[in-house]
Amino acid sequence: MLSIFFVRKGGAEDRTLRLFGLVFCVLGLGALILYGAIGTKQGILSLLGTVFLYVTLTQAWNILGGYGGYLNFGTATFFGVGAYTTAVLFHHYGLSPFLTAPIAGVMAALLGVIVGVPTLRLRGAYFAIVTMIITFAVQIVVLNASITQGPMGIFLPPLKLSPLALERLFFFMFLGLAVVVTLLVYAIENSNFGWALVAVREDEDAAEVIGVKTTRIKYIANAVATFIIGIAGGIFAQRIMYLDPTTAFSFDISLNVVLMAVIGGAGTWQGPLIAAPLILVVADMLRVTFTSEVNRVIFSIVVIVIALYLPHGAMGFMTSLRQKYFKWRNPKTGDEVASA
Amino acid sequence: MGAQVLTVIIDGLLLGLIYAGIGLGLSLILGVMGVVNVAHSAFIMLGSYFAYELFRRAGIDPIISAALALPVFFLLGSVVYRTLITRVEFTGPTQGLIAMFGLMVLIENLGVIVWTTDARALTTHYTNTSFAIGPAVVAWVKVLAGGLALALIGAAWVFLHYTLTGRAIRAIGQDRDAAAVLGINVHQLLTILFGLGIACAGVAGVLLGMIYPFSPGGQVFWLAWAFLVVVLGGLGSVANTLVAGLVVGIIQTFAGAFVPFEFVYLILYTLLAVILIVRREGLTSVARRSI
Repeated sequence: MLSIFFVRKGGAEDRTLRLFGLVFCVLGLGALILYGAIGTKQGILSLLGTVFLYVTLTQAWNILGGYGGYLNFGTATFFGVGAYTTAVLFHHYGLSPFLTAPIAGVMAALLGVIVGVPTLRLRGAYFAIVTMIITFAVQIVVLNASITQGPMGIFLPPLKLSPLALERLFFFMFLGLAVVVTLLVYAIENSNFGWALVAVREDEDAAEVIGVKTTRIKYIANAVATFIIGIAGGIFAQRIMYLDPTTAFSFDISLNVVLMAVIGGAGTWQGPLIAAPLILVVADMLRVTFTSEVNRVIFSIVVIVIALYLPHGAMGFMTSLRQKYFKWRNPKTGDEVASA
Repeated sequence: MGAQVLTVIIDGLLLGLIYAGIGLGLSLILGVMGVVNVAHSAFIMLGSYFAYELFRRAGIDPIISAALALPVFFLLGSVVYRTLITRVEFTGPTQGLIAMFGLMVLIENLGVIVWTTDARALTTHYTNTSFAIGPAVVAWVKVLAGGLALALIGAAWVFLHYTLTGRAIRAIGQDRDAAAVLGINVHQLLTILFGLGIACAGVAGVLLGMIYPFSPGGQVFWLAWAFLVVVLGGLGSVANTLVAGLVVGIIQTFAGAFVPFEFVYLILYTLLAVILIVRREGLTSVARRSI
C-alpha cells in the first residue's frame, strides 16, 4: 500500500508499483473528500485545511528549492503579497477573494520575477539570505503604505455561512489547490524541465555547458512557484478574515515551508505530502501540553539530523530502505539488479 | 546644523564599531572555512542574554560581561564546531546551509523557552548619561560599547597577524590543502577559529545589548546586519570588516537624520541586496569560494 513512496524511475516491475501507488493515492483522496463532505468536527476540518495549505506552499517551494537547489527563505513575501492583493481588492472594490485569487497569483509572480531576475544569479547561502531580507523590506513597505492601511491591517467581512460550512469550504479549496499543485510537481519531476532543474541543483556550471538554459529554467520555476504561493495567500486572506503585516509576512511561514520540504525530502513530489501532515499534526497535538517553541525545538533538531545524516529526508530514507530490503530482479533472468 | 552633523558622525562611527564587531565573526568563519554561519545572530542573541543574566543575578557590569563572554563563547563555539560543523563541512552546500538554519531556529526557540518573547534591556547606572564634545552630545554607553568593539577588533587583528596560530589560520584560509601538507593541524586550528568567531558574536551581543533592547525573535534582524557588513567588506579581512562596519554605521545615522525611522532599514536592506547582486563576494575581496 505504501508502495507509492518507494517508486522512482525504473524497470518493468515499476508498472505494478506505479499502479499500486495510483490506487493508494486515489483511495486516500477519496477518503479525504468523503471526510470533507460528511465530517462534522470543525477542529479536524480546520487542521486538514491548514495541512493542505502547507502542502500547496511546500510543493510550490519544492519546484525551485527542492529540484533546483535554490533555497528560498522568503516564501512569506509572496504569500503576504498574494494575501494583501485580494484583501486590498476587496477593501477598495468589494471583489471577492475567490474571484481575485488569480490576480493575487499574478501579483506574487510579478514580484517573483522582479526579485528573481537579479537574485537568481546569486548562489547558495547568498540567495537564501537575500530572499529572507526581501521579506523584511516588503514588510516595511506594507507597514507604511496607505493602500494597505499600514499596521492597522485590513478586515474582510465573514462569509454568510455557518462555521462548519465555512471550514468545509476552505477544506475543499485548499484540498483542490494541493491536488492540482501536487500533480503539477509530479509532472515537472518526470519532465525535461524537472531534469534540467535537477541538473542546475547538482552542478549549475556543468548544466550550462551541456546546453541547459539554466537562467531561463530558474526564472520559469521561480515564476510558477511564486504564482502558486500568491494564489494560496489570496485565499488564505479570506480564511483568516483579518490581515496585518506581521502575520501575513511572518518569517514563520517561510521557515515552516523549508522545514517541511527538508523533513519530507526536498526534490520529491511525495516529500511535502509526508511532512506537512506530520509536522502540523504533531504541532497540533503538542500544543495541548507544550508551547509551540517546544515544537520548533523538536523539529529544528530533526532538521539538523536529517540535513546531516539523511540528505534526502523521509523520502530518501524510504528509498534506502527499499534498496536494502527489496532487491530488484530482472524479470527475464530473475537476477538481482541495482535499483535506480 | 553643525552640531547635528557632528552628532550624526560620532554616533555613526561608534555604532559602526559595534556593527564591525557583529560582522567580524561571520566574516572570519566564512572567509577561512567557507561555512556560512547563519546561526551567527543566534549567538549574538545569546551574548546579549549572557550579559543580561549576569547583570540581573549577580549585578555584574556589562563591561566585565564582555570580557567574560570571550572564554565562555569560545568554548561554546569549539563544542559546536566539534559536534556539528565538522559534519556540515563535508555535506553538500544545501544540506550544510539547512543544518545551520536548523541550529539558528533551535537556539532562537530555546531562547524563547528560557527568556520568553519579551524584549529586555540592560539598564545600568550609566545607560542614560551623556557628555558633550563641543556642540555635540554623545552617550557614554555608546562610547564604552564602541571602545570595547574596537578593542575586540584590534585583538583579532593582532592575533591573526602577529601570532603563529593566527598566521596558520590565515594560511588555511588561503589554501587549506597546502596548509595541511605543510604540517598545520587544520582540524585543531579551525576549532580555534570557529570558537573565536562565536566569541566575537558573543561579545558583540553583549555590546549590542548595552545599546538596544533585545529579544530571542529579534536576532534574525542582526543576521541581516552582519551580512551587510560582511558583503560590504569582503571576506576574512579584519581591516575591511572594520571599514565596512563604520560605513554601515554612518549610513544608518545619516539616513536616520533625514528619513523616517522605519525607512532607514529599508535603505540598508536595499543596499545589501544591491551589493550582493553587483558583487557577490563583497566589494573589496576577490571571489574566493562560494558555497
